[in-house]
Amino acid sequence: MAPFFERYRDIIPEFPLFEESLQRPVPVHLRINTLKIEPTALFNTLSEKGIPLKRSSKRDPTLFYAPGLDSPGNLLEYFLGYIHPQAYTSCLASLALCPEREGLVLDMCASPGGKTSHMAQLMENTGLIIANELYPDRHVPLGHTLNRLGVLNTVITAYQAQQFPLRHRFDRILLDAPCSGEGTFRNLSPEAVYRPPRKENRFPDLQKRMILRGFDLLDQPGEMVYATCTFNPRENEGVVNFLLQNRDACLLPIDVGCVYEPGISGWREESYDRAVENSARFYPHRNGSVGFFMARIGRRG
Amino acid sequence: MAGEDERHTLLSSLEDRFGIPEAVFDPYLLFKRKKSWTLLRASVHLSEAAQLKVSRIGLKALERVGRFLKPTTRLVQIFGFAASKATVEIDQEALRRLWEGEEVPVDHNLDNGYVILRLKGDRVLGVGLYIDGRIRSQIPKKDMREIMVTHETTPRP
Repeated sequence: MAPFFERYRDIIPEFPLFEESLQRPVPVHLRINTLKIEPTALFNTLSEKGIPLKRSSKRDPTLFYAPGLDSPGNLLEYFLGYIHPQAYTSCLASLALCPEREGLVLDMCASPGGKTSHMAQLMENTGLIIANELYPDRHVPLGHTLNRLGVLNTVITAYQAQQFPLRHRFDRILLDAPCSGEGTFRNLSPEAVYRPPRKENRFPDLQKRMILRGFDLLDQPGEMVYATCTFNPRENEGVVNFLLQNRDACLLPIDVGCVYEPGISGWREESYDRAVENSARFYPHRNGSVGFFMARIGRRG
Repeated sequence: MAGEDERHTLLSSLEDRFGIPEAVFDPYLLFKRKKSWTLLRASVHLSEAAQLKVSRIGLKALERVGRFLKPTTRLVQIFGFAASKATVEIDQEALRRLWEGEEVPVDHNLDNGYVILRLKGDRVLGVGLYIDGRIRSQIPKKDMREIMVTHETTPRP
C-alpha cells in the first residue's frame, strides 16, 4: 500500500479505488504525430501488426491507448517520429491551452518536449514556440524529441522560468511546473514506496514565482495553463490562489472532453478563493492515467 | 540567418542531387551554425525571439562534409517525400544489414554521394552514403534499436 497518500483521503473521491489504481501500471498511451503521418494510416498498420489502438479522447483524434504494447520506444514508428508515448493526462494540457496557427507560444519548462511537440502539432508547425528549459543537460532530450517528431517552429532558450525576460507578451503560455511528481507514482511491488523529493517543501515557493512571471508575460487577450503531476494542494490550488491574490487574473473553464474533479477550496490550514474550483484535478482511478492538475488562466476583463 | 546567395546555393544543391524543388523550402528560414544549417519556419514573431538568448534554433537540416552537402536524417524524413532522384528503396533485410554496419550493394546508376533511404512502402528512413555501387547507413545508430530493424514494420504515410 502507499501510506503517504493517506493524507489525501479526505480530498480524493472514492479513495479505496484510488489506492487500488496505484497497484496497476499506467496504461501505455500514444499520441500520433500528424506532423509526419495521418492517424488513420498508422492506426490501420499497427492494427495489422497486432497492436490494437483504442481512442482515448473524444476531442482529439490523435490520442490512443495501446493495450498490450509494452515498449512503444522499440517500434520503428517511434524512430520515424510517427508516434510519441505520452500519458493521456499529460496530453490534456496542450489541448486545454489550444495554441493557434501562427501564434506566439512560451513553454516555460519545456523538457523533455512531449507537450512542446504536441503544441507544435496543434499549430501545424506554424507560428513560433519558445521552448525554455533552464538546465543544459535537459536540452538533449528536448532537442531529440523535437527533431524526431519533425518540429520546425521552435527555438530553445535557457532562462530561469521565474526570471524569463519581460520583453514580449505571448498569446499562449504553458507552465508545466517542476513538482513533487506524486501523480506518476505506482505501487507495483512490495518494495515500491513513494518518497517525496528532498526539496519538496521548496516547490510551492518556486511555483508561485513562476506563475507570477508567466502571468506577467501574458498578452491581452492571452491564456496560460498551469499544470503539475502532483496531488499536493499546496503545489496546485495554493499556487493558483497566490496568483489570484497578487494579479488581476481569472480562471477560465476547462473543456478537454473527459471527467475531472474541480479544484478544492482548502486543505489543512489553507483555504483558497472559490474561483480555484474552476481548476481541474485528474485522478488515476477516474482517467486511467497519471495524476494531474491543471488551471486555465486569463487576464480579468 | 543564411543570406539569399548562400540559401540558393544550398537549396539548389539539394535540388540537383535529390530533385527536391527549392520552392518546398519557401516557408522556412536557414540559419548557419559552424559547418551546419538549421531550418525554422518563418514567422512574424521571429523579431521578438531575436532579442532572446537562444541556445538552439529549429531543426538541424544540412551539414558540409568535405565536398558534399549532407542532409540530416530528420530533414529527409520530413521532406524526402518530394525527392525524385538519388533515392534508394531497401527491404527489411537490407535495413538490418545497414544497421549492423554492413555495406549493401545496390543496382543504381548514381554519382557517388548521399542518398535518401526509403523502406519499401514509401516510408523515408533517413540518409545513406552511396559509393561505387554500395550504400552504407548514415542514420545515427543511437536513434535506432536492433528490435526496430528486426521486426516487420510500418505504414505508408
